[in-house]
Amino acid sequence: MAVHEQTYQQYLGKLTPEWSRFLVIPRHAFRDVFRSKLFTAFFVICFAPLLLEAILIYLHHNVNALAILKVNVRELLPIDAFFFQAFVNVQAGFAIFVTLLVGPPLVARDLRNNALPLYLCRPFSRTEYVLGKMSVLLILLSAITWVPQLLLFLFQSYLEGVGWFVENLSLASAIFIGSVVWILLLALLSQAISALVKWRVIASAALLGLFFIPSIFGEAVNSLFQTRWGSIISLFALMKNVTAGLFGTFVQASVHYTNWDGRVGHEIIVNEPPLWASWLALFMVCAICLTLLSRKVKAYEVVR
Amino acid sequence: MSEAKSKLEIDRDRIRNSQSEIRNSKLIVFDDVSKFYGEILGVNRVNLQIDRGITSLVGPNGAGKSTLMNLMTGLLRPSRGQITILGIPTDQPEQLFRKLGYCTQFDSFPRGLTGSEFIKSFLLVHGFDRNKAEEFTVTALERVSLLDAGNRKIAAYSKGMRQRIRLAQAIAHQPAVLILDEPLNGLDPMVRAETIALFRKLAAEGLHLIISSHILHEVDMMSDRVILLNNGYVVAEGNIHGVRDEMEEHPMQILIRCDKPAKLAARVFDKDHVVEARLHDDRLGLFVRTRDADRFYLLLNEVVAEGEINIESIAPVDDDLSAVYQYLIGSESQGS
Repeated sequence: MAVHEQTYQQYLGKLTPEWSRFLVIPRHAFRDVFRSKLFTAFFVICFAPLLLEAILIYLHHNVNALAILKVNVRELLPIDAFFFQAFVNVQAGFAIFVTLLVGPPLVARDLRNNALPLYLCRPFSRTEYVLGKMSVLLILLSAITWVPQLLLFLFQSYLEGVGWFVENLSLASAIFIGSVVWILLLALLSQAISALVKWRVIASAALLGLFFIPSIFGEAVNSLFQTRWGSIISLFALMKNVTAGLFGTFVQASVHYTNWDGRVGHEIIVNEPPLWASWLALFMVCAICLTLLSRKVKAYEVVR
Repeated sequence: MSEAKSKLEIDRDRIRNSQSEIRNSKLIVFDDVSKFYGEILGVNRVNLQIDRGITSLVGPNGAGKSTLMNLMTGLLRPSRGQITILGIPTDQPEQLFRKLGYCTQFDSFPRGLTGSEFIKSFLLVHGFDRNKAEEFTVTALERVSLLDAGNRKIAAYSKGMRQRIRLAQAIAHQPAVLILDEPLNGLDPMVRAETIALFRKLAAEGLHLIISSHILHEVDMMSDRVILLNNGYVVAEGNIHGVRDEMEEHPMQILIRCDKPAKLAARVFDKDHVVEARLHDDRLGLFVRTRDADRFYLLLNEVVAEGEINIESIAPVDDDLSAVYQYLIGSESQGS
């Protein structure tokens, strides 16, 4: 019988806070992601509309520049809710492409390589793992959406004065909430698909399909049945309505159809789904994604 | 009087409970543990108390080795029963994984990392600060003889090096319990010997090492005890020689090399515990099967003392893990 002496010393020193440990995941993911020159170039291009936005804001307040250009930018493009909403929508489009490039392999790669036990046999929960993987997208997408746009909002406030800032504070919250809801939705969707489909290309295609196929189908439903309720299955339409609601630009009775019944034409006014329905639909999509993640992100898949 | 007696009994119970808690805080305890995957049996009614040292899990594919390991690491929850690792229930990961290191059999690594980055990252996940993580990384790499290759990408490692880097990540945070799933797979003989020596060193330091392996002679060589599993049940557990001794239905086989095997055969054959005595083909040895090895060895002592027969060597033929495996599992697994 072997004699065992307890000679090793377990580490009893200070540890980092539990909440910060998930950040190890994005740190490595960023290095991996930015190793691709193509992605880095695309990520830089994502800032081009923001640069344009900054230029427009600057021109708005620079009398000399306006005189040189001989255009009245103030009248041509007023800086208001529509201005910021338009750029939020543009950046939302870029966010989709960044998600398509970065999101699909995040969980899929670990599942394919049976690497989950490697993470989960630590003081590290499944929630922290998912949070860590999602934070890769959340950080990247924040960097091209609400963070620079809030900075531009502050830039505009600085040029316009405190009065404008106080008066338009709701725009800042709309930029923030609208962008965060969108990037949260993108992150959850991509992670759920990544957990379902283990192959990157298929996962990317599935994610792309999830955005476009229901939108096309929803538009077909709208046209056929002369309604706007088809938009409830389109992620684009849902986000458009939610963002418009946040910016205060949402108009429910927005679409006029001219229906040619034989030779007689008449106009039909159809209503967009109410805002609460759009919020509810988004909430349900997120809930489904979370359910999928909780079922799939396990150290071992139980085969029945 | 009866009240005083019942108080005494309560005190005794308390003392017994606290003694059992102290004992369990040094053991890995399976208390009537079962795991079912739907209707499929993983392991059933497992009761084990595993002490320090090297314990090997042995059994054919699907016997329940990996299930048992995953239950120990808390990656699977038991359908019934409870498991405690040094007194910590497996459903408390924060405390559990401070004391437990796990090396899976899967060859999976985050992309693009060097060996030292791999270990350091997971130490950061454990909650060590950067300096401590750096220090422990170097120590772990040293222990598995990979310090020189630490700055190379894991993708460029050989299979043996990948096996060792996985072992390094399991021991890097200085756990008290190490669970190693097939840790000797893919290692060349030299590295395999080094790794076994490392296991023995870790065990000597007071760690619990739970190892699953298919390589029986190596398990036999390094293990303090074995747990034999088959079809989800623990077939046998304990010191391998102890297990062998208890297998009365399979008489122990002993080969005695001597100058007068025929005379020895005549001497032993009238004993009731000797089942068979057969001369070796070269006529310089006797092959004996006995139900009581201890009594047989005493008899041999007498023979040697008498000085009539010159005994050169005595070698048990089936007092090892391979034989035990063959007797307890081999026929069944072949049959299935």
